[in-house]
Amino acid sequence: MSGARMKTPGKVGLVALQLILAIVVLLPFFWMFSVSLKPATEPFAIPARLWPENPTLDNYISAFRPEFRTYFLNSVIVSLSTVVITVTLALLAAYSFTRSGFRLLSVALGLIIIAQMFPGSAIIIPIYKMMRGAHLLNTYASLIIAYVAVTLPVAIWMLRGFLSRLPMSLEEAAAIDGAGPLRTFIDIIVPLCRPGIAATAVFVLIVTWQEFLFALSFTSTKEMRTLPVGMNDFIGQYGIRYGELMASSVLISLPVVVIFMFLQRQFVAGLTAGAVKG
Amino acid sequence: MLSRAPLLSWLFVAPAVLIVAVMMYYPMIGTVIESFYSSSFINPTPSFVGLTVYKSILGDGTFLQIVLNSVIWTVSVVLLQNLLGFLAALLLNQHLPGQAFMRSLIMLPWVLPGVVAAILWRFMYDPQLGLINSFLVSLGLNGVPWLAQSSTALGASIIAAVWKGFPFSTVVFLAALQNVDQEQVESAIIDGAGPVRRLFDIVIPAVKEIIAINLVLTAILTFNYFDMIWVLTRGGPQNATHIFPTKIYELGFGQFRFGEAATYGVISILLLAILIPIYFFVQARGRKAAS
Repeated sequence: MSGARMKTPGKVGLVALQLILAIVVLLPFFWMFSVSLKPATEPFAIPARLWPENPTLDNYISAFRPEFRTYFLNSVIVSLSTVVITVTLALLAAYSFTRSGFRLLSVALGLIIIAQMFPGSAIIIPIYKMMRGAHLLNTYASLIIAYVAVTLPVAIWMLRGFLSRLPMSLEEAAAIDGAGPLRTFIDIIVPLCRPGIAATAVFVLIVTWQEFLFALSFTSTKEMRTLPVGMNDFIGQYGIRYGELMASSVLISLPVVVIFMFLQRQFVAGLTAGAVKG
Repeated sequence: MLSRAPLLSWLFVAPAVLIVAVMMYYPMIGTVIESFYSSSFINPTPSFVGLTVYKSILGDGTFLQIVLNSVIWTVSVVLLQNLLGFLAALLLNQHLPGQAFMRSLIMLPWVLPGVVAAILWRFMYDPQLGLINSFLVSLGLNGVPWLAQSSTALGASIIAAVWKGFPFSTVVFLAALQNVDQEQVESAIIDGAGPVRRLFDIVIPAVKEIIAINLVLTAILTFNYFDMIWVLTRGGPQNATHIFPTKIYELGFGQFRFGEAATYGVISILLLAILIPIYFFVQARGRKAAS
């Protein structure tokens, strides 16, 4: 089905379909952006105007209020900590899982992969009680620990797919040169894994940046809320002040969208490596 | 080398194993135990009640509705998301102009935080200000209270979830399509096979393992998906959109009925457990086919 050989009318049809796909994907984004630029005084017209008459950044200025900055900082702290911890632990584990053939290890790996399917909602109450018992409710630690647990299985799965495609020859050479396993891991495996690490880090970041259920259940004060929970609070507080709500939405989405755009190629490669290798 | 150092091999996996054991398996057991106890906000000390909570839940009409909603939700989202995802992947694999641009844009809905996507769709569905009703009104039709009436709320939530989820399927399928043997496709063209024949005889057989894995994976994710429905409808109106995760959250953290929430949790795990062996089966088959 190569394009060069296709007859022109067929190609025009496909380009039209691609345009429809673009509209389906982008129209909600476009509207979010347009409403975020709409002055509060400009009424919602029926039929809706797709672009405001007098675009303004007012909504962004009012959206960027102190609580929003707190939520933002909380989200950054929790997400980045989770990314660092998960990726480190997952890389260590995935390395061992792909290089050591001990039977008990494959049992452990199987159990970790199964855990990836556990519904967060079904295990959240005991986790909540554990956190309460440890006096960790409403702290960063409660969220970071929960997020590391939730993201580890997929991170291991992705990195395992990546590691199993790395040739063993370099490690064997290092072993002949007398390097111990830890040296080999730090000097050879970590640098070789950079694309896999990037892909996994992006995945963990996207998951934690938007995590809602645990953050909603474990945080109880405004000071500890993360962005998704803060956004959810906004709905009730501001009713139909959609301009501000959409401006906040743009601000929340921007960091992950930008990072994703930069690391997209590695991310897709890492994801499919995991899926293909299983 | 690590393969000759059993102690170090275990040391490398120990933190991950420990965290998953303590934070996922232990709570899983905790949920099962919790489900045999009853407690409430007024009477917070849990008392052992055996299977009483199960009996009362299983005999309750709400429970049946939640099972039904969960099945409709999961099956519709998974089928639509993967069908749309596959068609979009076929389209983006045609070397059309603007393709590179589209391939990077398509992931946007998936990257968008779930709560933001849900708020955006809540706004799209807004009876007065929403884009969808505004479009209907401009066509001379009546607006529909999409999320406020039982007959449309679940369907509207499904559409929003499909929009958010299909790019993921597209990207996975697109990567699989690029591994389809081009020589086989070329020789089929020479033999005079049309695009539809080639799709069913060459392309689909080549990627069917990936399709199977993705169907199971998205089924698990969709069944467990809390954010979209919670932000769109909170499970309402009158339980019309409640699925397991939202009902469990509402019972546990809205009403502090931990025992009932845990019982719903155990039942949801049992339903999900049907999918786990299927997942391993298709993965094992996929691996066999790949080697």
